[in-house]
Amino acid sequence: QHGRVKIKSTAQQEEEKRKEREKKLKIYIAARDACFSKRKEGICDDEALQLTQQLLSSNPDFATLWNYRREILMHLEDEVQKIYEAELSFLESCLKVNPKSYGSWHHRGWVSARLPQPDWARELSLCDRCLSLDDRNFHCWDYRRMVVKMSGVPVDQELGFTDHLIGSNFSNYSSWHYRSTLLPLLHPESPEPLCLSEYELVQNAFFTDPNDQSAWFYYRWLLGRGITKLVTCGALFLSLVFQAQSVGLLLVLDGQPQRVEWRSVHPRFKHSPVWICDLPPGTISDITNEHNLTVHWTEKHTHRDCALYTGRTESYCRDSATDQELFRSELSVEKTSVLQSELQSCNQLQELEPLNKWCLLTIILLMRALDPLGYEKETLAHFQTLKEVDSMRSAYYSDLCSKFMIENTILKMEYAEVRVFSISDKNLTTLCHLDQLLLVTHINLSSNQLQRLPPQFAMLQCLEVLEADNNNIENLEGLFCLSKLEEINLKNNNISTLADLQPLASCPKIKRLDLRGNPVTQMAKIEAELAELLPSVTDILL
Amino acid sequence: MAAEDLPSEFDVVILGTGLAESVVAAACSRVGQRVLHLDRNSYYAANWASFTFNGLLTWIQQHHEESQPEEVQDWSSLLEEGEELIYLSYSDSTSISNLQQTADSEGVEPTADLPRPSAIQGQSEASRKKISYAQLVKEGRQFNIDLVSKLMFSRGSLVDLLIKSNVSRYAEFKNVTRILTYRHGNVEQVPCSRADVFASRQLSVVEKRKLMRFLTSCLEETEEQQGEMNIVFSLFLCDQQLGDNLEHFLLHSIAMVTEDTPTEVGLASTRHFLRCLGRYGNTPFLFPVYGLGEIPQCFCRMSAVFGGVYCLRHSVRCLLVDKDNRCKAVIDSRGQRISCSHFVVDSSYVATEQKKVTTPTRFLSRAILITDASILPSNSGQQVSMVTVPPIAAGFPVVMMVELCSSTMTCLPGTYLVHLTCQSVGSAFDDLSPVVTKMFHTPETDDQETRPSVLWCLYFNMADGLDVEVEGHNLPSNVYLCSGPDGHLGHDHAIRQAQLIFQKILPEEDFCPPAPNPEDVLYDGESLLPTGGGGGDNSGWGEKGEETKENPQTEE
Repeated sequence: QHGRVKIKSTAQQEEEKRKEREKKLKIYIAARDACFSKRKEGICDDEALQLTQQLLSSNPDFATLWNYRREILMHLEDEVQKIYEAELSFLESCLKVNPKSYGSWHHRGWVSARLPQPDWARELSLCDRCLSLDDRNFHCWDYRRMVVKMSGVPVDQELGFTDHLIGSNFSNYSSWHYRSTLLPLLHPESPEPLCLSEYELVQNAFFTDPNDQSAWFYYRWLLGRGITKLVTCGALFLSLVFQAQSVGLLLVLDGQPQRVEWRSVHPRFKHSPVWICDLPPGTISDITNEHNLTVHWTEKHTHRDCALYTGRTESYCRDSATDQELFRSELSVEKTSVLQSELQSCNQLQELEPLNKWCLLTIILLMRALDPLGYEKETLAHFQTLKEVDSMRSAYYSDLCSKFMIENTILKMEYAEVRVFSISDKNLTTLCHLDQLLLVTHINLSSNQLQRLPPQFAMLQCLEVLEADNNNIENLEGLFCLSKLEEINLKNNNISTLADLQPLASCPKIKRLDLRGNPVTQMAKIEAELAELLPSVTDILL
Repeated sequence: MAAEDLPSEFDVVILGTGLAESVVAAACSRVGQRVLHLDRNSYYAANWASFTFNGLLTWIQQHHEESQPEEVQDWSSLLEEGEELIYLSYSDSTSISNLQQTADSEGVEPTADLPRPSAIQGQSEASRKKISYAQLVKEGRQFNIDLVSKLMFSRGSLVDLLIKSNVSRYAEFKNVTRILTYRHGNVEQVPCSRADVFASRQLSVVEKRKLMRFLTSCLEETEEQQGEMNIVFSLFLCDQQLGDNLEHFLLHSIAMVTEDTPTEVGLASTRHFLRCLGRYGNTPFLFPVYGLGEIPQCFCRMSAVFGGVYCLRHSVRCLLVDKDNRCKAVIDSRGQRISCSHFVVDSSYVATEQKKVTTPTRFLSRAILITDASILPSNSGQQVSMVTVPPIAAGFPVVMMVELCSSTMTCLPGTYLVHLTCQSVGSAFDDLSPVVTKMFHTPETDDQETRPSVLWCLYFNMADGLDVEVEGHNLPSNVYLCSGPDGHLGHDHAIRQAQLIFQKILPEEDFCPPAPNPEDVLYDGESLLPTGGGGGDNSGWGEKGEETKENPQTEE
C-alpha cells in the first residue's frame, strides 16, 4: 500500500463542498437583500447594476432582478450603446450557465431591440452557435425569429439556413416547420419546380428513416399546403341551419323580420353547425299560400332563401359543395398528377417497409384525396394493417376509418333526394358528419361497434326511424328533442340503467322501442318504470 | 553521471515507451507501484512516435546508418550468488526496413516550382500554392508525422481506457469528418451516418432505405443472420440484394473487411462501426490533435504524475536471473544494478537468441505523403478523411488511407498529410506506390492535374505487432513482452496486451481506475492536519481495513 496516492474520502469532499456552498449562499443572500432594498428606494446606480449582475450570473432565472436591471438601464442616458453592448456580453455568459433561461433570452431581446446600433449579424451567429449545440432550443428559435424580423434577413437565406439544419439532423421538426413558414413567403404561387425539389428533399428523409415523424408531418403539410377554407354552405329546413354561432342570425318570413329564439340542437353546444328556432305561434296559419323564408347571417353578410310552397309541410334549400369542401380533405391543394406520383413513391416505400405506420397512413390520405370510393377496398386493408402494427393507436385508426366510411356513404347518396341513410356492418366506432344528414328520416346503424349516440346526433332533426341494433351503445345522449322520432331499434346493445334512457323523454313522438338484449331489461319493474318515463310509447320490446 | 544515478530499487522496470508499455507504466504507477520507465531513443513512443518533418528526416537517417554493435561488456562483478545474465539487444535493427524516399530534395524542387502549362488554365490549380521542399524543412516543426497510422474507434478499448483513467485530460481529439472510398477511379464519400445517408446524392431513395434497413438490422442480431453464418460476408451481402453501390460501401468502408471474411466477422465489424458512430460525430473515429504519438506520452505523463521515473536515451543491457528463473534485477546502460520484481519490455529489445524460433514476422507497408490538396476537396478545407482503397488489382492488398488536414496540427497549413497502410505483400514501395500513382500526382506522372500533388513521400516497412509472439520465449516468468504496433485500424491489440501484462503483475488490482482530481489528492503533512469531523477518521479506517484484507490474500 505504500506509495499509493492518498485521496480525500468522499465524506471529506462532501464536507468541503458543503462549506463552499454555505459560503456562496451567504454571499448570495446578502447581495439579494441589498438589491431588494435598493430597488425599494428606487436607486438606479452602477452599484445596483453590479449587484444584479453578480446575482444573475449565478442564477439567470431570477425574473425580478432582470426587471430591476431593465429599470436601471432605462434610467441611464449616457453611453447607451456601450452599456447595452456590455449587457449583451454579460447575457452571453448567463446563457452559458443556462441556455434555456427564459429571463436571459427575454432580456436579450429587450436589449437588442433598444440598442441604438444593433449588430444583427453577431446576434444571428450567436443563435447559430446555440442551435448547433442544441437544435431544439425553442428560446433560441424564438429569439432568432425576432432577430431575422428586425434585421430583415432575406427569406431565401433563411431557407438555406433550414437546409443546413435539416442536413445535419432531419429529425429536427423545428427546422422543417420553419421551412413551412418560409416557403409560402418565398413562392406565394408555389411554382412546380420548387415543389418537386421539396418533395425530393422530404422523400430522402422518409426513405432514410421512415419511422421519423418530422418528415412525414412536413410531407403532409406540403401536400395539403394552403389554408383550410371554412365552407359556408347550408340547408334551410323550415326553421334551420347555418354554420355559425347563433349570434347574428335573423329570420325573415314573407318580408317580415321575426323575433325568434335560436337554439342549438343540444344544450351542450355553444357552437354548432345547426341552429333551430320555433316560429312564433300563428305566423304560418295556413299552408294554402306560399311562404318565403330568408335567414340572414349578418356577421358574414350572407343569407339563404327557402320557399314553402303551397300545400307542402316542409321545404329545404341546399348549397352545392364539392366533396372535398365538405370533408376538408387534408391533401387538397396539389394537382392530381402530383398526388398520383406521390402515391407511387409511397407505395414503393411501402413495398420495402410494409409495416411502417407513417407510410400506410400517408397512403390512405393520398388515396382519399385522389379517389375515395375507388380506393375504398385498399384503404380498408391498410387500416387493418395499421391497427395491427400500431395497436396503441388502434382506436384512433378505427375512428378515422369510421369517418372515411361515413364520408364514402354520404358520397354515394344521391343528394337531398334520398332521405334514407344506411351504414350497417362497417365497424363504425364513431359518428361524424352528422350535420350532412340533416334531412335524413331513416338511419340504419346496425351491426357496428358504436358505444354512444353523441349529442351531435340530435342534428338529425328529421329522423323518424333509428335502427341501431347490435352495437355496444350505452349512452343515448344524442336522442334529444328529436321531434319526429317514432321508432327506435336498440336490440343487443349495452344500455344498463334507466337513467341512460332519460334523454328519450325529450322526444315526444316515440311509439316503438326495442330494447331486447340490453342489460336494462333485467331490472325489476322495468316495464312500469318505462311506462312512466316514456308515456307516448305504445310498443316496447324487452 | 554518478550524481544522476537512479534509485537502485523499483517494483516494475519498463523498457520501451510504446503504447502498451506506457499503459502498463501508467496502470502500475496509479496503484502505487514504483515504476522505472526507460527508452533507448531520445524520443517517446518508439515505433508509435510522431515526428516533426526534420525529426522524421533524422529518424530516416538513423535507420539508413548501420548500427554499430557495441562491445559486450562484462557485468559479472555485479552478479550475486546463483545469478545468471541475459543480454538484451543493443538496437532495434529488425522492426523497420525498406526505407525509401521517392521524392527527395532534388526531385521535388524543380517540379514543384516549375509552372506547368495546364496549371495556369485551371483556376483551382492556379490558386494552389506550390510548396517547396525547402519550405517543408523550414516549417518542419508544424508537422507531426506518425510512424503508425491508426484511428481511435469512439467505443474502442483505447477511448474507454482514456475516459476511465482520466488520461483523456492530457490530450485533445478531433473527429474524423468523413469516410471516403476509392472506386472506379474516383474518390467517393461513403454515407454511413443517418445524416450522410439523407444528404447523399449518389444513392437513390430506395438504396437509402435498403442501406438504413441493413444497418439497423445489423445492430440487432437477428436469427436470419445467424442462419447465414456459414457463407462469406461478401456473399451474405450479395444475398441481401443491396446492389453494387451498397455492397461496396458495406464491405470495404463500413465493415472494412475483405471478400473472403466470414459473415460472422463481417457483421461483428459492421456492428462495431455502427456502435461507434454518433458518439462524438458523424463518423466512428477520433484522431488525437498533434498526432498519435501523443497517446503513449499521455499515459507516460499519468505514470509520472503518480511517481513513475522516466529516462530517455537510457536502456537496459542485461537481466539478472536467479535460480528460480526470475528476473531479480537489471543492469542499465550506465552499468547500474537496479533490482525489480517485474520487467516489461518491447520485443525489439530482446535478442534473437532468446526468442523462440517462430515463423518469419509479417510486415506492414507504410507510405507517408505530404500533398498540396485534399483527394476530395470540399467547401470546408479542414476535413479529416478515412479512405478505404480496395485492392487495385488481383494480388494487391487492401489499403487503408488517412488524410489529415492542418487543423489536426499534424501538417503545415496548405498541405495535407496522407498515411497509407497495408499488409505487406512485397516491399512498401511495391505495395503502395501503384495506389499513390493512381490517386495522386507524383513527379513521375504528368497527366491529370486535378489530382493532389505529392510534395514529399516516404515508404517503409514495419513489423506487424500482431504477428509478434509475446509468449513462450526463453525468458524469466516475470519478464513480459510487448509486441509493438499492429496493422489494425484501432488500438485494441495494444490495450489488450497492456491489460494482460498488468493483470499478470498485479492480479488483485484494478486496471487504471479513475485518477483523482488534483484538488482531492492528500499530500504528506496535509493528512496530519485535523480534518475536523468523521471524514478523516473514516478514510484512515478504510485504508487499514484494506490492508488487513489484503494480507491474508497475499499469504495464500
